[in-house]
Amino acid sequence: MADKTYWLTNVRLETGYQYENGSVAGTKTEQFHVRIEDRTIKEIVPADKLLITDLPKQDANNYLMLPSFRDMHIHLDKTYYSGPWKAPTIPSKGIITRLKEEEKLLPRQLTVAEERAKNLLDLLLRAGSTHIRTHCNVDPVIGLKNLEATLQAVEAYKGKASVEIVAFPQHGLLRSQSVSLVREALQNGASLVGGVDPATIDGNIEKSLQTVMELAVEANANIDLHIHDPGHLGIFTFKRLAALTEEAGWQGRVTISHALALADISLEEANEVAEMLVHQGISITSSVPIGKTIPIPLLQKKGVEVSLGDDSITDHWSPFGKGDSLEKVGILAERFRLSDEFSLGQTLRYITGGVTTLNAAGQWIWPHVGDDADFVFVDASCSSEAVARSASRMAVFFKGNLVVGTL
Amino acid sequence: MSTAFWLTNTTLETGYQNNNGVVIGTNTERFHLLIDGGKISKIIPASEPITDDLPKKDVKGLLMLPSIIEKHCHLDKTLLDDRWRAVTPVNSIFERFEIEKKILPSLETTTQERAEKLLNNYLTYGVTHVRTHVDIYPEVGLKNLEEVKKALQTFEGKLSYEIVAFPQHGLLRSNAKNLVSEALRQGANYVGGVDPATVDGDIEASLQQMVELAVEGNAGIDLHLHDSDHLGVFTMKRLAQLTKEAGLQGKVAISHAFGLGDILLSQADEIAELLADAGITIITSVPINRQFPPVGLLREKGTSVAVGCDNIFDVWSPFGNGDVLERASRLAEVSGWVDERSLAQTLSFITDGKTPLNHQGEQAWPNIGDDASIILVDATCSAEAIARRSRRVLTMYKGEIVSGSIENSRQGL
Repeated sequence: MADKTYWLTNVRLETGYQYENGSVAGTKTEQFHVRIEDRTIKEIVPADKLLITDLPKQDANNYLMLPSFRDMHIHLDKTYYSGPWKAPTIPSKGIITRLKEEEKLLPRQLTVAEERAKNLLDLLLRAGSTHIRTHCNVDPVIGLKNLEATLQAVEAYKGKASVEIVAFPQHGLLRSQSVSLVREALQNGASLVGGVDPATIDGNIEKSLQTVMELAVEANANIDLHIHDPGHLGIFTFKRLAALTEEAGWQGRVTISHALALADISLEEANEVAEMLVHQGISITSSVPIGKTIPIPLLQKKGVEVSLGDDSITDHWSPFGKGDSLEKVGILAERFRLSDEFSLGQTLRYITGGVTTLNAAGQWIWPHVGDDADFVFVDASCSSEAVARSASRMAVFFKGNLVVGTL
Repeated sequence: MSTAFWLTNTTLETGYQNNNGVVIGTNTERFHLLIDGGKISKIIPASEPITDDLPKKDVKGLLMLPSIIEKHCHLDKTLLDDRWRAVTPVNSIFERFEIEKKILPSLETTTQERAEKLLNNYLTYGVTHVRTHVDIYPEVGLKNLEEVKKALQTFEGKLSYEIVAFPQHGLLRSNAKNLVSEALRQGANYVGGVDPATVDGDIEASLQQMVELAVEGNAGIDLHLHDSDHLGVFTMKRLAQLTKEAGLQGKVAISHAFGLGDILLSQADEIAELLADAGITIITSVPINRQFPPVGLLREKGTSVAVGCDNIFDVWSPFGNGDVLERASRLAEVSGWVDERSLAQTLSFITDGKTPLNHQGEQAWPNIGDDASIILVDATCSAEAIARRSRRVLTMYKGEIVSGSIENSRQGL
């Protein structure tokens, strides 16, 4: 796709907050023309200024522009999405039931894996996500075949979204003896080391974490571990991971997905854990499970980087999931009673890699000239409305190109 | 009433697929249904030829489900169709009352317009029956009731409804008895109420007055009970006793009933039996920001449970959209109901108990003579519709298409 230079006209952008009795009562917006060049935003001018240009123009019809979204935890390789409906079974042995199911299911699904991954990418794009982190099974059950299917799908979408792949030993890095497979995956297109419950799945917290760290250092890769282990078992695992992160100098390169243990402990303790995470630059990704939610606003306040992900989108683990990050952050807002103008608007950070349109002081911080031209147009008057009302997505742009929708 | 016509090639559920006693899927087959006089008057397998010349609408295999019931909404409170505004933070429910009192009359849109917008959304989501609460308090008198009635009249023939005369500011606290009584004479069918303890400050007097009003007005009761843990549970127990004394069994509902979600399951067990015995229905909006009643347990004990949306973009909450099926899906997700049968049976909470198959997998709906109040859904079975919140393609109320069309299957982004 050629990198076009053009003007997006009549773009609605947020310019500040309206205050009433000292608190935020609304969001001010104005119209602008935005010049796109070299896949970035090159110029922003007020729309009342007459535009004298020979460049092509695309009218944004006064739709609100927001930074495009990030789905930081999904499994493109296992989805039933776009295939026939099938409900999960009742798991009589918990997670072990699910692992057992994969032994038959994954080889059988291989023929449709790439096609479904593409369809799921389409769904995510339509929802406005242009950056995706997918966990891809790498284990003796499926070898590197799901990785190959995922890579094919990602290749087909490379002009539409950036996708990072986590080499995910779903059946346990140690438990399923997947070390060399993960190593191989990292040499063949996966860019992060994954893992799952060093205690309950691998049965050896220390060895499991050490091995993850060795693999990461060896491949110069980041880490993203699924840790569902509850209570202090999970917290202890976080602590050991933090210690190893420090030893390896891997600060800022480690993510814990789910981190469900944070929902089991007192807020005082969660505060302490949050400080430790901040200190080691360990980020958290949550799918905002509505039955058991970790204290996300507390973590954010402490400075922990928190992202959201959809996780399952109808697969043998869960029949739910709509692949809509904006809806997901709306659920987060509802869950934590973030329903005033300011709080709603600021929740956008969880699905944009920390970007909001206005900062806490109400100053314009997005978009800036020089930013990547990755954005989504929504049918809303401001971010707060977009989040609370799951506003319709009209058009999605990636690196300056319209990838889905129309204006 | 329209002339008779056939809905052809409709997918209906015929049984569960079993594997060693475990339900692993749903069997469906295609049928032709004759709709006559607003009712389903014939059901024949699609393999049989239709021998008459009545008009036919080909449904092309869409799944047919009973239309949806919204059991808890506030048509007079929604801000839909008006401009966006977030919620103003408050320190107490009483501050919220004052904000609402001030904002609603100041809007550029009328209560009727906003109510109509919401009703329209309901039809799109497949809802053909709503129970709406309408605020009744001295400053507003019966004005909201009148506006809501006008909106409902606009939708005459498209859905059915029940109206709760709801003294939002407290039956006792705002001295609303006479107004509620008047509302019952002017079209409301239920006596409402809110937190006899925290709002009215006198559980006994508040409940007594509700029951008196209901008996006198030959009406039911639907009480908003947010009061927590044992305070809420105590109120439920008293209401259960008063319900039986007044012979109001089957006519009383408790909305929210948060207290039941706060106590131990073993304690809730006993209360569930009490509620079942008094024929009291629990209505929940499946909140995700606090505990709510254990729906699975209530069902097991024979207590009737229904799901409703409650707030849909109003001065209380910026969330909510009127998609009751989405609420049912949320209930399934929170409750961990992920298997085929659990998902399918979740439908009962939004259809007044109707499901295509009963627990054993026997066909239970539709039956000859049922109202043709149905939805056609882009799904293969109820379980999928619940889990995936499948698109409603068409809504029919008593044989009339009230939203969507079979031809129009275009989807947005």
